[in-house]
Amino acid sequence: MTFRRYQRELPPALALAALLGTVGVVAPSFFSAMNLRDLALNEAPVLLVAIGVTLVILVGEIDISVGSQFAVCSVAAGWFAKAGTPMALMPACLLLTGGAMGALNGWLVGVLRLPSIIVTLAMLVAWRDALRWVTDGAWVQDLPVNFQWFGLGHGTAQWVIVLAVLSVLGGAGWTLRNLAAGRAVYAVGSDAEAARLAGIEPPLVIFSVFVAMGALTGLAALLNAVRFAAVPANAGIGLEMKAIAAVVVGGTLITGGRGSLSGTLVGVALLGTIGTALSFVGINPFWEKALQGAIILAAIVSDATIAGLHHRVRLFRRARVVAR
Amino acid sequence: MERLFPGNEPALLAVILLECLVFALTGEHFLSIANAFEITRLSVEVGLLALALTPVIITGGIDLSVGSMMGLSAVTLGWLWRDAGVALPAAVALTLIVGIAGGLLNAWMIARLKLAPLIVTLGTLSLFRGIAEGLTRGIENYSGFPAEFRFLGQGYVGGVVPTQLFVFVAATLGVAWWLHRSAYGRGLFAIGHSAEGARFAGIRVGRRLTVVYMLSGVAASAAAIIYVAHLGQAKSDAGTGYELLAITAVVLGGASIFGGRGTVAGTVLGLFAIVILRNGLRLSGLPAELTGILTGALLVGTILVDRLSRSGWRGRSAGVLRRGVTSLAGRQDQMRNSQVAVLSAMILAGSLIVAGSNWMLVRSLRSAFGGQPALTVTPLVPGSTIAAGRAPVVAMMPKAKGDPYFISARIGADAAATELGISLLWDGPTELDPAKQNEVIEAWITRGVDAIAVSVENKAAISSVLRTARARGIKVVTWDADAEADARDFLVNQATPQGIGYALTDETARIMGGDGEFAIVTASLTAANQNEWIRYIKERIAQRYPGLRLVAIQPSDGDRDRAFAETQTILKVHPRVKVVMAIAAPAVPGAAEAVKQSGRTDVKVTGLSLPNLCRSYIKQGVIESIVLWNTVDLGYLAVEAASAMAAGRLHRGDTTLMAGRLGKVQIVGDEIRLGAPFVFNKSNIDRFNF
Repeated sequence: MTFRRYQRELPPALALAALLGTVGVVAPSFFSAMNLRDLALNEAPVLLVAIGVTLVILVGEIDISVGSQFAVCSVAAGWFAKAGTPMALMPACLLLTGGAMGALNGWLVGVLRLPSIIVTLAMLVAWRDALRWVTDGAWVQDLPVNFQWFGLGHGTAQWVIVLAVLSVLGGAGWTLRNLAAGRAVYAVGSDAEAARLAGIEPPLVIFSVFVAMGALTGLAALLNAVRFAAVPANAGIGLEMKAIAAVVVGGTLITGGRGSLSGTLVGVALLGTIGTALSFVGINPFWEKALQGAIILAAIVSDATIAGLHHRVRLFRRARVVAR
Repeated sequence: MERLFPGNEPALLAVILLECLVFALTGEHFLSIANAFEITRLSVEVGLLALALTPVIITGGIDLSVGSMMGLSAVTLGWLWRDAGVALPAAVALTLIVGIAGGLLNAWMIARLKLAPLIVTLGTLSLFRGIAEGLTRGIENYSGFPAEFRFLGQGYVGGVVPTQLFVFVAATLGVAWWLHRSAYGRGLFAIGHSAEGARFAGIRVGRRLTVVYMLSGVAASAAAIIYVAHLGQAKSDAGTGYELLAITAVVLGGASIFGGRGTVAGTVLGLFAIVILRNGLRLSGLPAELTGILTGALLVGTILVDRLSRSGWRGRSAGVLRRGVTSLAGRQDQMRNSQVAVLSAMILAGSLIVAGSNWMLVRSLRSAFGGQPALTVTPLVPGSTIAAGRAPVVAMMPKAKGDPYFISARIGADAAATELGISLLWDGPTELDPAKQNEVIEAWITRGVDAIAVSVENKAAISSVLRTARARGIKVVTWDADAEADARDFLVNQATPQGIGYALTDETARIMGGDGEFAIVTASLTAANQNEWIRYIKERIAQRYPGLRLVAIQPSDGDRDRAFAETQTILKVHPRVKVVMAIAAPAVPGAAEAVKQSGRTDVKVTGLSLPNLCRSYIKQGVIESIVLWNTVDLGYLAVEAASAMAAGRLHRGDTTLMAGRLGKVQIVGDEIRLGAPFVFNKSNIDRFNF
């Protein structure tokens, strides 16, 4: 039964295991504590964004504006800090900033029923250009001393970041599985009309999911920005594709209704380690992009094959039942 | 009405008319025949993609891989022609076959394996671009195509009509007939409405989808061929981001992203709405960033109007892309009063924003009316004849607008413009993009500026348009990076690539004591400049420093965070590395932060960056030194040189130039020399603020 439950996550998990196994044989130093910690920290913001994207895809929509939102939130984090916001309040500020941008998407998609790919395509271009216009590309510099690492010091803050992301992952995963709000996401993603008849309000669910997406992006931008002493104005270019690819590789169905955060975790880990692994094995970085594309395609093709097999097995069983 | 125009055609026509009206008032030479043709020339490449995407979207699919396919096709064409020795016509044909093959790969997964087009083409987006980069190592830049071939992208038939316009018109008519008039094309609409229904009606859905995706592959290859002919060079970064532009055009044109609805006429109008907007903003001297904001607003606005004007979407099963959610839309036909209220509030807020941005328009309107009669359709004025009483216009272009390096150069440029009392236009691509550079210069030629100062991203790509500018009497100066020698009057030279490469190597060798391992963090693997520096770095090592070993070259994509992660990896994979040399402005602080966090005090960072980005790291001793010149002075000198030429104070053959606060500057041949590269370190960093 457990096998069945994690069936969708299995192919990427096997691929990840194979990748790690190969790297472990060729370059065992890959598994040094320091490298794993660095990888975890570098991929933590991507994971947060990917959690949000998972929710959006589960509910049957898509958000390709997260990279631009990430950049806006990064710069906003810098501005808040320069305006003298206490570091303890920063997460709340960024959750609000990101949440507000997400709410705009959510309102247009959920309430006005505009197609999400178009709305977020518009936002992708508009936020990015608006940010360029306002900042002129200049970095936010001369931040307060306690901006970097929340003023907690290098070692402690790294744990705080990793634990924060893990607790978001755990919390969101638990909510998705056990709470009515979580199940509503699956219900709307599977069949919005059926969900409506069952007493769920799809517009509200879609709106909330986009707000969560924005808030998570804001948090990710903050946790990424505090690792440095200055904020660049061009952060997050291509982040949306990275996150969507990770979610899909992790077995979430692009049409919504099926998927899990454990799959997303595997997807982020797989696509996030591949670049570093190439360096450790000594393969030229020129091939990284081609390899990532191949992994995405392999993941969905294997998913389709498994789904096909599954479908045939079910048909066979049903036929037997009917025959009886 | 609706039967005649199922798309957004009337609304789009109104938008285009409005754009034309506004830009005719604010833009210089916007309403000229030459500009009209220039606009069409620029839209052909994206236009071909948009044309091919129209049937794809009508069937309810999407193809994100077209931009990457352009990159792969461009590289294939270049390789076949130059390295494999295939005759150019045959190479063109083979390139089209590559497009078909790519389309077939997409089609196989979408039509046969029934995978979601969004995901399949997201994968091939990475795959095609990755193969193109892998094959060329990102560096290979094929140029020197014969003039007959370049005529396809640069020439004028009968002296006025751009050659590629014929290709585009033929393609438009062909696709329009095929899609709207043939039974085959009408079948595609049926598939978009309901693939299952179409199958029951006897349409071979899989086969038609295959044809549609193949067509989009071929169109991408054809667009790549025209792109290569237009720029005169082929590189793996061709067409980056074009897929989004093309999709925007199709959707603006009224095609439903869920399939079943869309027209070729709408797509073409949508395309022109975007291209005219971009061109008009440029000719009006308004910030190019407004393009994105206005395009976004236009996109949301059109679908909103579309949504309100129809009584909701007919509950259409979206099939391939999206299902479920749309079916509930049919139920929400009547909008609630509260929703109408919120919507009105938003439109009001939107119009306030537009009004806010309008003060810029009004300002430029005023200057347009004050300067010269606005609505005259003047032929292109040769730049050298500066009308009495009008301040000379110097147009200056960085490689990328948002780059801190060029932002600091702009400070100097603005200072020079104020001192000289000239008006300075500052515009350029937002990311490194040779095609965009051409587009901006073409707009400047149309606008009729007096002098152009450009920092060249790609020599081969830009030189022919610069020659056109010179032929029209515009003075051309290059700064920071050079074009071909006969394409400009002077080069304002801060340092040669050789000088930079050598200085970086010397500094690295000095830090390491002439012996040991070091690694390079570059910009992107395709960056022309960086690759040239690396060439000279290797040359210098071979000549002078046999003890130095370059163990890794990693890309940062000009992203501080990526440089940080790559440096962390370098330190672990090559623990004996003593110096990390970062050769892109944002990469140096990224590398420095990685070294600092690793606690490795025996590793030093050096490279090419700006003092302000690196100041704290230099003071902490993480960055030993950075090599650069005074970029503020570079911008200043470029404007001084350009305006001196426009005013006739500077000619070929002069040996000195009096450049304002910089005093007398040396000219050697056709190079105006700023001075040698400068090494910034702990002792002198506080004297500089840029």
